[in-house]
Amino acid sequence: MAETTKMSRKDKKALKERMKHLKSGKLERRYARMGYIFMIPWFIGAAVFLAYPLGSSFWYALNNIRITPLGRIFSFVGQGNFTQILIQDPDFMIYLVDYLTSTIISTPIIVVFALIIAMMLNMKIKGKGFFRLIFFLPVIIVSGPILGMLTAEGAGSISAIDTQSLTSAISSVLPDIIAKPISDVFNNMITTLWYSGVQILIFLSGLQKIDKSMYEAAKIDGGSAWECFWKITLPNLKSMILLNTIYTIVFISNNSENPIIVLIEESMFSGTKEKGYGYASAMAWLYSVVVLILVGLFALLLATRKDQYEKQVKRAIKARKKEARNKKKIERRNRRNAKKIERQRAAGKITTHTTDRSDY
Amino acid sequence: MKKRILPLLLAGCLAVGSLAGCGGDTAANTGSAGNAGGESAGGSAGGATTVTNDFDLVTVDGSTHQYKKYKDMTSENITLTYFHFDQDETVQLLAKRFMEIYPNITVNVQYENVATYNTTLSTLVSNSQAPDVIMHSDCDYALSNMLLADVSSFWNTDDETKGLADTVNSAGLGTYHLEGGQRYSVPVKFFPGAMFIDRNVLETLNLKVPTQNWTWSEMIQLIKDATVLNSPDGMAYYGLGYYNRLDSYYGIAARQDIIGEFGFTGKHFDLSEWAIGEQEFSNLKLGGYIAPTTETQAMEDWCGDWEGWAGNTGHAAIFSEAFWTFQNTWNTPAYHESYNLDIVPYVIPAVSSADAGADHHSIATIDYGGITTSCKHPREAYELLKFMSFGVDGWYTRCEIYSDESIVNALGTALKYDVMPVPITKDQGVWDEYIKVFCAGMDDEHVQLWKDYFASCMQPISFGWTNIAGYWNFCDEYFNAIGIHDLVDNGTAQAADYVEEANRKADYYHAQAMIDYFGPTGYNVLSESEIETYNKMIADNQ
Repeated sequence: MAETTKMSRKDKKALKERMKHLKSGKLERRYARMGYIFMIPWFIGAAVFLAYPLGSSFWYALNNIRITPLGRIFSFVGQGNFTQILIQDPDFMIYLVDYLTSTIISTPIIVVFALIIAMMLNMKIKGKGFFRLIFFLPVIIVSGPILGMLTAEGAGSISAIDTQSLTSAISSVLPDIIAKPISDVFNNMITTLWYSGVQILIFLSGLQKIDKSMYEAAKIDGGSAWECFWKITLPNLKSMILLNTIYTIVFISNNSENPIIVLIEESMFSGTKEKGYGYASAMAWLYSVVVLILVGLFALLLATRKDQYEKQVKRAIKARKKEARNKKKIERRNRRNAKKIERQRAAGKITTHTTDRSDY
Repeated sequence: MKKRILPLLLAGCLAVGSLAGCGGDTAANTGSAGNAGGESAGGSAGGATTVTNDFDLVTVDGSTHQYKKYKDMTSENITLTYFHFDQDETVQLLAKRFMEIYPNITVNVQYENVATYNTTLSTLVSNSQAPDVIMHSDCDYALSNMLLADVSSFWNTDDETKGLADTVNSAGLGTYHLEGGQRYSVPVKFFPGAMFIDRNVLETLNLKVPTQNWTWSEMIQLIKDATVLNSPDGMAYYGLGYYNRLDSYYGIAARQDIIGEFGFTGKHFDLSEWAIGEQEFSNLKLGGYIAPTTETQAMEDWCGDWEGWAGNTGHAAIFSEAFWTFQNTWNTPAYHESYNLDIVPYVIPAVSSADAGADHHSIATIDYGGITTSCKHPREAYELLKFMSFGVDGWYTRCEIYSDESIVNALGTALKYDVMPVPITKDQGVWDEYIKVFCAGMDDEHVQLWKDYFASCMQPISFGWTNIAGYWNFCDEYFNAIGIHDLVDNGTAQAADYVEEANRKADYYHAQAMIDYFGPTGYNVLSESEIETYNKMIADNQ
């Protein structure tokens, strides 16, 4: 067995210092250079299409802007646009509450639906490719104006669901501000489900990566399909669930059908003096903050939750380690006590009385 | 070596590819546009500043009409961009004819649907690709972004502008009522207001057909008389099938000094007339004199079709439909074959008998257009704008296009049936041609009815949002925001209760818009007294 020598903290620091001054090899340098070259397009893209528009948009949000053929006219208004949106624009707050409620409700519906469909499409069925195409088709076809037209024609709701009764039932027990977005979800159930094409694909790729031997092992141990789903499939898809949840929130938030996006666009091109690019930018910033918070909340909820199986395994390992530690502790104590008694006996401090049973 | 070149090449391709989307000529000029827009289009970019009215008569292939080729137009090769939401096939043909008259001018026509018009125009402007000539619908959008240049120097010297419908100049349509007399917009598309009557319904109900001099109260009475809810044929008759609300018509029908449906008189608003019309319309609705609207249960109950339309039931007597509905729908061969209707036009009646007996103002849908402030060739752009809108030569060309039913739109419909406007010029030659096209296939009686109608509708007043600064903002932030129409229509409020507040609000929005658009931070053309007046209006109505 190789003997490992422990480095002191001082040595480690010295080694680190020496490593700093060490020149990397030619090959390593070339790899590094190539890495940077390949990253350049991303850096340029991020700078031009992300950082610059973000900065500009924030600057716009602090100004009142007129776009004239002779140039843009900026008038600095500071936080004026934000204040106006929050205090004087009732539509924005109403739409924001609607958005939050409907997103919180529809995101789990979309993700769960996508998971169920992905699992079904992952089964051994005939025409698997065709069915996959069917579920992905809305992503390609149903976008922008086509989605608007279909929704206008009432194709967004399931005709078998009596949405009117459902709406009135919800309205009778919940306040309007919550009841409306909930009933909107039922009114646009088909549209909501159409949004799940990409998520199905992501889940499918996740499902195909799960090692089949795990299922075989589980079956040998007598695991049912239900148990396999909870103990193997779901834990393995945990990262995909988080990914799909974030994707769904971002998709819903940026969708052209989203009333807040429509409101921002209307403000952008409004003839109203107070509105325009500056006002719309401020609105977009406020909206982005809300979306970020929502994404963060969902991420927090899904990323920190560990599955029960993993928890149990960890608990068992921990208990075993503790048990081993206790055992060692007891052994050490026993050995120590034995030595102590031995020493005392040798010193004659302890006399051992033996009792002859025959005395009785 | 190959191994090194390949990744470099790939990286290069990626970089170029990622940047390929950010093409464009030049970045938009950031900074103050100052008051450059305040100068007249003629004065701001050099070239001719007026119209000399000196021209040669030229002919072009395929037309017998002699066109005016103005001598003060440039002889250089130039390109003008015309951005519009008009009927595209017609505009393309007009542009072609314009280029035949002026071969050195290339006209680049860009069409955009009205729903996305402002958005696309803003994008073009922000990318420094502003067109030379534009149409606009709501004036607030165009003025707040200083899109329009002052064309008064051309307008005032052009002989043809004197021959337009009287109100264009007398009511200052397109001038925004500035004391300096500047004009930023010209009328492009004109659709007069009309009341259509189905004479067959009146005959069935044994009601007398009104005269062209009918009054407002006669119209209301006719609406009531023609409403028979328990008719012998089992289907109710209604007096009015509406598209436009009657309150929009009433203000202008009530007073000859009103410029816009909310009682605007050049500086102030007075919605008291509007309130009478609004209440009257509400009473008609609540009284059951108005036909159900499409996609309602009432429509389903009435004619058994959720998507039904009063205009083809043969059970509605009067219609406040848009002007284009006649050619677009009622006059099409399919309608003649399928429905037994006899639709004839009437001018929107005046309230007083004295006004009704003479030519009087009536509301009209007018879309405006103008030259942009960045246009480099304003004289030529003005001529193009005129040709596309009110110009006599343009209208001769339009009549040629409309009369040829082999020229069709994307849906295969002849252009005559696709939202054909009405000439706003009074030129007799144009009107003779237009009547020929419009009344083709009609009998003499109907031709005469249309002639009478056209003669009496040439005192148009356009809807306020196209022609009054701040009007759109007033509607957007106050009138529509509190839903006055709905509140009055369903009987929960009285229109008169809103008059005082609405007057103050409308004055406030208008004054603020005038200061913003035409004051020092905008075109900078307001006089001291105008600034004082508008500031006082803002302070008084804050």
